[in-house]
Amino acid sequence: MTPDDLLNNVSRRTFLKISAIWTGGAWIVGIPGLSSQSYDVLTREEADIMDLLADCMVPPDDFAGGKEAGVTNFIDQQISRNGYLTEDRDLYKTCLPALNRTPLKEYKKHFLTLDRDARIEYLKKLERGFYDHSTAEEIWEPFIPSHFFAKMRDQCLMGFYGSPKHGGNNNYVSYRMIRF
Amino acid sequence: MEKKRVNAVVVGAGAGGGVAAKELSEAGLSVVLFERGGLVTHEDHGNDELTAQRSFPLACAFGPDNERYRRVYRDLQGNERVVLPNEWDYQNNAACVGSGTVCYGAMAWRFMEEDFKMKSTYGTVEGSTLEDWPISYEDLEPYYEKAEWEIGVAGDDSINPYAPWRRKPHPMPAFHHNREARILESAAKDLGYHPFSIPMLRNSVPYNGRRVCAHVRQCVGFACPVDAKNGTQNTVIPTAIETGNCELKIHCKVAELLTNDQGRLTGVSYFDENDQKQIQPADIIVLAASATETPRLMLNSTSKHFPNGIGNRYDWVGRNLQGHAYCGADGLFEHEVYTGEGPGASVAICDFNHHNEGYVGGAMLANEFIKLPYAYSSGYRPPGSARWGQEHKDFQKRYYRRNASIRGPVQEMPNYESRVQVSREVRDHWGIPVAKISGYKLDEDIQTAEFIADKAEKWLQAAGAVETWKSIPGKGVSGSQHQAGTCRMGDDPQTSVTNKYGQVHGVDNLFIADGSLHVTNGGFNPVLTIMALGYWVSDYIVKEWQHGNRF
Repeated sequence: MTPDDLLNNVSRRTFLKISAIWTGGAWIVGIPGLSSQSYDVLTREEADIMDLLADCMVPPDDFAGGKEAGVTNFIDQQISRNGYLTEDRDLYKTCLPALNRTPLKEYKKHFLTLDRDARIEYLKKLERGFYDHSTAEEIWEPFIPSHFFAKMRDQCLMGFYGSPKHGGNNNYVSYRMIRF
Repeated sequence: MEKKRVNAVVVGAGAGGGVAAKELSEAGLSVVLFERGGLVTHEDHGNDELTAQRSFPLACAFGPDNERYRRVYRDLQGNERVVLPNEWDYQNNAACVGSGTVCYGAMAWRFMEEDFKMKSTYGTVEGSTLEDWPISYEDLEPYYEKAEWEIGVAGDDSINPYAPWRRKPHPMPAFHHNREARILESAAKDLGYHPFSIPMLRNSVPYNGRRVCAHVRQCVGFACPVDAKNGTQNTVIPTAIETGNCELKIHCKVAELLTNDQGRLTGVSYFDENDQKQIQPADIIVLAASATETPRLMLNSTSKHFPNGIGNRYDWVGRNLQGHAYCGADGLFEHEVYTGEGPGASVAICDFNHHNEGYVGGAMLANEFIKLPYAYSSGYRPPGSARWGQEHKDFQKRYYRRNASIRGPVQEMPNYESRVQVSREVRDHWGIPVAKISGYKLDEDIQTAEFIADKAEKWLQAAGAVETWKSIPGKGVSGSQHQAGTCRMGDDPQTSVTNKYGQVHGVDNLFIADGSLHVTNGGFNPVLTIMALGYWVSDYIVKEWQHGNRF
C-alpha cells in the first residue's frame, strides 16, 4: 500500500476496526507521577521553590498538598521538551529564582525561608501586582510578576486536579478529596 | 497532482458535512469527503480533562493542533493578537472525523417556529442585521425528523408545551433524571414552569446496533467509552462509505476553491498528509467546514472573476458571526446534590425562549453538565472567593457535591461587524492566510442574558440553594462551538450569501451545509439544526441532479 492509498482509502474495514476500538470501552488509567527527587528542567533550588508554591496554592491538611500530590513534577514535565507547556520554560526558569529573591529587601529573607504568614502576605501582594512596577525587579525581566503568579496558580491547579497521566494528582488524591 | 474528477466534494466531516456526504453518495453521486483532522477515539485521550474539548489548557485532543493552526483575534479595544487552538479566543471547533459530534454534550434541539422569523416576531433591532430565515420551521420539520431517526435522539416533547409541532415522536424514550435534576425539576414545577428531559443524541435504549448510555461523568468534551453517543462519525459517515461512492480523505487540508477562465468553479486544491499540494476536480462543492473555516475558504479563493473571494460580491461572506450569549446562575446547597451520574445536564425548560416582555428572544435553561475537578477549581464559585490556599481547598471539599448550575444559550442579535476575515499578515503551516475574528455583542444580548440569568437564579433558590450568584457574558464576540451565521441564507443576494437551498448566489455549483447558513441561531444548542440543514441542502442537490441539472 502506498502512502497515497493510506491517505485516500479509509476503507470500511478500517472504519469498523476503529469503531470496534471505540466500543471496546477500555478506560485509560493514568500513570501516577514519579516522586523522583530529580527533574528534567528545574534545578534542586527551583524545585524547592516550586514545592513551596504548590503547598501555598493547595496546602496540605487531611489530604495531600500540592507538593505531595506531585505538582512540581507536573510543571517540570510540562515545561520539558516533550511537555505541553514548553513555551513556559523560560518563564519558570526566570521567575522562580526572582520570586525567591524579591522578598529580601522588604522581609530580609528569601521566599524559601519566610515564615508562613509572611509567605502568604507576600504572595497576595505579588498576585495583586504590587511588585510589577517596583524598580528593583529587573530580575523578573522580561516577565511581569503578577502574570507569572496567575499562570503558576492556574498550572498548580491543573497539576493537582488534572489527570495523573500528566505527572501530578498522585494517587488521584484530588479526586478522592472532592469525592468525584 | 490532479486527481480523478468526482461529482461532489464535501469539505468538512462534521455535523453538516457528514450528512451531506451520506445523502449524495446514497443517491449515486461520487463523493470525496475532506477532513483536515483524523479519527479520534476514546482510547486516544481517555478521561483527560486537560485536553478535552470543553477546557483544553494543555492541548485539544480532538484537534486542531497548536503546531500548525492559528488565528488572529481582535478584541473590543481593537488590539489584534495571534491565538492558538487551545486558547479561548480561537473559538475552537473540533477538527476530526465527526468534529464536535464526537465529543459534544449531544443536546438535540429543534429550533422553535419563532426562531425562523425573528424579525417578523420582534421587529427591527437597532444595530442588528436581524432577518427572517428564507425557510420556515414547516420547511425544515421533515429534515429534523430524518436527523432524529437516522442519527438517533432520545426525548419526549409531549411534556414540553413550548416544543414546536412534530409529525413523529423521537425514536428513543427520554432519559430519566439524576438526583440534581430531580431536585430542580420539582422546584421548576413549584414555580409554574414546565420542566422536561432534554432531548439527547445519546442512546436511552440500544439503537442502530450500538449500546445504551453508560452515564459516565466525562461525557461532554469526550468521546464516548461505550459508543452510545450518536454523531456523524458512527452513523451517516460509515453509511456513506458503505455505499462505495464516498471516499473519506483524512488529514487533508483544503486550501482553495478553483475556478476556470469562465468563472466556473472546477474543484479544490488541498494539502495531503505529506503536505503535498493536490487538485481534486469536482462538478459541485459543498462547504461544511464551520462558520469560521467556510468563510475563510471562500475569502481565500480569489480570482479574476471573484476578486473579493467567491460568493462575496456584496461583502456578506464572514459577516454576522454569532454563537450564544451564555448566561445562568450557580448555587450552593447544604445537602449533597451530586451523585456522579452523568452526563449531568438533564432537565430543561423552554418557558423563556420567546415572548419575554421587553426583550428580544431568550433562551432555554438547563442544568449544567458534570463539572470536572480542574474546571471546578477554576470557576463556579461566588464572586470574590479565594482562588488559592486553604480557603480554596476547603471550598472544593465542601461544595463539589453540593452545587448546581443552570445555563442558557441566549439567542444573539446578528450584527454586521461581528465577522470572520482573512488575515493579511498571519499564515498557517501551509502558508494559507488564517481567519481573523472580531466583533461584539449588542447591548440587547446582555440585557436578555441578565433577564434569563435572573430566572436561573430564582430557579436555584426555589430548589433550596442557600447561596446563589449570576453569570453574565461579556461584550466580546462569541463563536466557539455554536458558531453560526457567517454565510447566511436569504432571498436577496445583496444581503445574504446563499439562497434558501444553501446554494451560493451567483455560483451555481457551490453549496454550504453548516452553521454558516443560520440567519439567527435560536436559543438552543444548534447541532440538530445543522444536521437538518445538511439533509435539506442535500435533498435539493439530489433532486436537481436526478433531473439532469449539473449546476
